[in-house]
Amino acid sequence: MKRLLMNKFVIGLLCALFTLPVLAQEDELKDLPGYVDFGDLSVTYGEPKITINLGGTMLNFVGQMSSEESPETSRLISKLKGIRVQIYNTADNMTAATEQFGKTKKHLKSSGWEPIVQVNEDDEQVLVYTKMADGNMQGMTVMVVDGEEAVFVNVIGQLNPTELAQVMDKFDVHVDLDMD
Amino acid sequence: MKEFEDKWEDRINALLDGELSASDAELLKAEASSDQALARAIVEAYQLQQAMNSIKVERAPDSLRKRLRAIPREHRPQTSFRWLQPRWAMALAAIPLVIIAVSLMQPDKPSAVEVAKARQELAIAFAYLDKAAAITSREIESTVGQTMADAVTDSVDRAIKTQSSDAKEKKA
Repeated sequence: MKRLLMNKFVIGLLCALFTLPVLAQEDELKDLPGYVDFGDLSVTYGEPKITINLGGTMLNFVGQMSSEESPETSRLISKLKGIRVQIYNTADNMTAATEQFGKTKKHLKSSGWEPIVQVNEDDEQVLVYTKMADGNMQGMTVMVVDGEEAVFVNVIGQLNPTELAQVMDKFDVHVDLDMD
Repeated sequence: MKEFEDKWEDRINALLDGELSASDAELLKAEASSDQALARAIVEAYQLQQAMNSIKVERAPDSLRKRLRAIPREHRPQTSFRWLQPRWAMALAAIPLVIIAVSLMQPDKPSAVEVAKARQELAIAFAYLDKAAAITSREIESTVGQTMADAVTDSVDRAIKTQSSDAKEKKA
């Protein structure tokens, strides 16, 4: 009887130990106040052209890698807890993306996010919202929808745009963007 | 000799109580096959247990039970064989598994390739953020002119700082 109880205890303990980290990783970003759900537009546009999901752990490693060659980049990254990007090809069909744009905007407004910049034109919509708490940025959301792309970017943590502009040239990456 | 018998006693009691693991029981059996004294001790213990089981238990008078409980138990040194008892064996066996499980909870260090890929992705994300700011600036410029556009180019930063200051003032 004692052995049976001990077996059950050990099995229960191991199950808990193996399950907890998996759940924790899944919810790493979703539980953060700066997280924004952009929904899923793949039904309309197919799989996103670009999907990026970087959590705090990976960002820490990237920051460490950058620390020697560019301390300012490392400093910028250290303030981030996560960054997510979804980019779809809209191919002149802006309807679904615009609808998602509106839904997300409504959610942001009702969740205490503050608008920074909004551009509303027939052929292009741009929105930048931030969420602040106790004087600290918790997140930033950038959405751009035009006839070519629907871009959804969610920065979780603190990001200073001035610092971002300063470190952009440190990244030896050339991205061909269709946002011009 | 007494200490030796004490070591046996724990194992024999565990065997008779069904608390000895199969492997430990086999080990004890093997030892008994080559050790007459041990074999005799096991048989005697078994007989004693059978005899005890056959005795009709009568409750001792409360006064006697009270006096018996008042007698301090004789201190008996712990034998190293206690570690072979099933509960300890289970606990010892669980230790490496727990260590593995705990190590899984620690974030795995990604490979250099994975970090480089993440850096590339971060650069793409930053590029889109930077580009979004440029679009905003362009739109404002086309609407209100260069002077205002220059002023608003840093608007995101300023707005954030203003919000930050406002929030701190409100808090104060």
